[in-house]
Amino acid sequence: MAKIEDLKEEAKKLLREGKVKYIIGYGVGSNGWMANPVFVKKPEDVDALVWDPTCVHNLTRFLVDEKRRKGKEKQPDTRPVGIIVKGCDSRAIVVLLQEKFIDRKDVYILGVSCEKAGVVDEKKLAKKLAGKKPSQIELGDKDQFIISTAEGKTEVPVAEILAERCLECKANFPVIFDLMSGDKTKRTPEKPFGSIEQTEALSPEERWNFWKTELDKCIRCYACRSVCPMCYCDECVVDSINMAVAADTTAEEKSEKIKWIQRSPESSENFVYHMVRAIHLGGRCIDCGECERACPLDIPLRFLNKKLEKEAKELFGYEVGFDVSQPALISCFKDSDPEDFIR
Amino acid sequence: MEKILLKKALPQWVKALASYTVYSPKKDKEESWNYAEIDHEDFDPNFLNTTLPPKKILFPQKEIFLEFSKTAEGSQETLEVKEVLPEKKAAVIFGVRPCDARAAWLLDKVFSGEFTDPYYWIRRNQTTLVGLACDAPPSENCFCLSVEGSPFSEEGLDVLLTDLGDRYLVKSLTEKGEKLIQAAKHHFHDPKPEDRKKVKAIQAESVKKIKRQLKDARAVSSKLKGSFESPLWDEESMSCIRCGICTYLCPSCHCFDINDEVESASPLKGNRVRTWDTCQFPDFTMHSSGHNPRPEKASRLRQRLFHKFQYFVETYGQFQCVGCGRCISLCPVGIDIIKVLDKVNKHGS
Repeated sequence: MAKIEDLKEEAKKLLREGKVKYIIGYGVGSNGWMANPVFVKKPEDVDALVWDPTCVHNLTRFLVDEKRRKGKEKQPDTRPVGIIVKGCDSRAIVVLLQEKFIDRKDVYILGVSCEKAGVVDEKKLAKKLAGKKPSQIELGDKDQFIISTAEGKTEVPVAEILAERCLECKANFPVIFDLMSGDKTKRTPEKPFGSIEQTEALSPEERWNFWKTELDKCIRCYACRSVCPMCYCDECVVDSINMAVAADTTAEEKSEKIKWIQRSPESSENFVYHMVRAIHLGGRCIDCGECERACPLDIPLRFLNKKLEKEAKELFGYEVGFDVSQPALISCFKDSDPEDFIR
Repeated sequence: MEKILLKKALPQWVKALASYTVYSPKKDKEESWNYAEIDHEDFDPNFLNTTLPPKKILFPQKEIFLEFSKTAEGSQETLEVKEVLPEKKAAVIFGVRPCDARAAWLLDKVFSGEFTDPYYWIRRNQTTLVGLACDAPPSENCFCLSVEGSPFSEEGLDVLLTDLGDRYLVKSLTEKGEKLIQAAKHHFHDPKPEDRKKVKAIQAESVKKIKRQLKDARAVSSKLKGSFESPLWDEESMSCIRCGICTYLCPSCHCFDINDEVESASPLKGNRVRTWDTCQFPDFTMHSSGHNPRPEKASRLRQRLFHKFQYFVETYGQFQCVGCGRCISLCPVGIDIIKVLDKVNKHGS
């Protein structure tokens, strides 16, 4: 079973010996039970680290910040950063390596296996507890979560409150790591694309109405983009200033820059935003589910990404985030690709 | 003026307001609460904090200021510019939490003074806010008491309802509120002394139920000044992902952007539009020279807190935070305004 003690010991050693700059991990949030990202810089602070089923965040997103920060420093500290990753998160590292956004020597990967479980879905949990407030959640040894509340302990079967993505996870242990805690428990999901069956079954008209209702809710806070480790572009088409402006950029250049999307949260603009993002994640999304979790308006963004993941698998036999040496889906072709016009 | 309205008569009251567009919090299929137009029977007083505050009705995310179009007749080109004002339609929002109403009261200050914002005021003047006192905090992160509010504060409201079990004590606070009651006056009757006693008891209880507290907010306010260059901002913003949740969902955040949105380039046609903007986006402060005075997320987190707890206090004497807790509950990485300000408090001493 994955143990935080193993990771803490290694983290302490790494920090003491100065082998890493800092460690990106999980600590307890201010409500006392939900994990949140923490950045541990000193060996004596390592005890702040936790590992439990509330460690939902994909921390690899902070590698993007780290790279940006380093890029601005005159004499950057070139030591790696330590990072705690789950199976899904580790596959994000694989993609970042594959795209040469980061270098393997930039990260020291502390992997944890989710084994038979995964992380909880906060909404499902809240529904299950019907008003009771959790104080701690642990994984039991009989496929159950043990939830402590002020009224005592409750046991809930893992499958009932697991995050949707975890129910469809095919690699619940890190695929790349320097140290791993826990067992490589294989788990084969019955329906790896089960969540999108419902939307796939809709007629084009129904599907349009479904997405129109969902995307009309969007307030364009861009939390889905901001939380995503794959959305690392310096220039994004949706920003009001979507070009890298320098001191010598002329007014003409600025005025001639095409505005792809208006700021008004209209259906048309929201569709463009979400379509652009989904397409840019084709063959890159590792289904950490962070976009959907972060969305304050509960837009089911995973459906879009999952659909593209399925297309990549069925059309090109491509699975994201398992092999660093594999060329990226959208930058390569094979003779066996189904598009006849390529030949 | 205080009146009693039986709960079962509330749908009749709403029905009598046929000339108004009626909004109230509604639970969606994801079990989140949000303001939506309702039928007379839909009001559920047990709502939790809505994801989006009623700000979305008074200060909508999109406001068209004017329409422009160019027409050509031979070589003669005419540019037509037409002012657009919000549609005149009386509205009532049932079930406004006192904190959200206080936020509207703060927005009132922002959108008046040297410049009166006609768009905001048309909406504000035609909308009646019917508050519901919180007998229990609608969010685990409620901290209104710490920022000089309360679960039954009246600022910004036209009517305040207090839930007394089978009845509401209805207190009208403005002329607008009075008019609303007059629309169905035969459903209202005078309160008995025990009703008033019950209100007092509920208020005393509700105060005790608020768990979260920001200690000594006025002191924090004065200590912020000395923390401008503190490394604290770097540390606290490490996990910030630079999204707009904390500000877009804030009932009192009001920054905006104005753009000409072109629908057609030839012939030219489009709108000048105001939309929400946020200090948390890097391009918010981007100069046309390419220089950005707030390039790091640390400076942006600092700006959000300074605006709420220092600049606004200097200008208007009030905190620009009403303690609704949305920015805490909905932050994807758990940045907690209370915790950060507590650190400022310690930092300064």
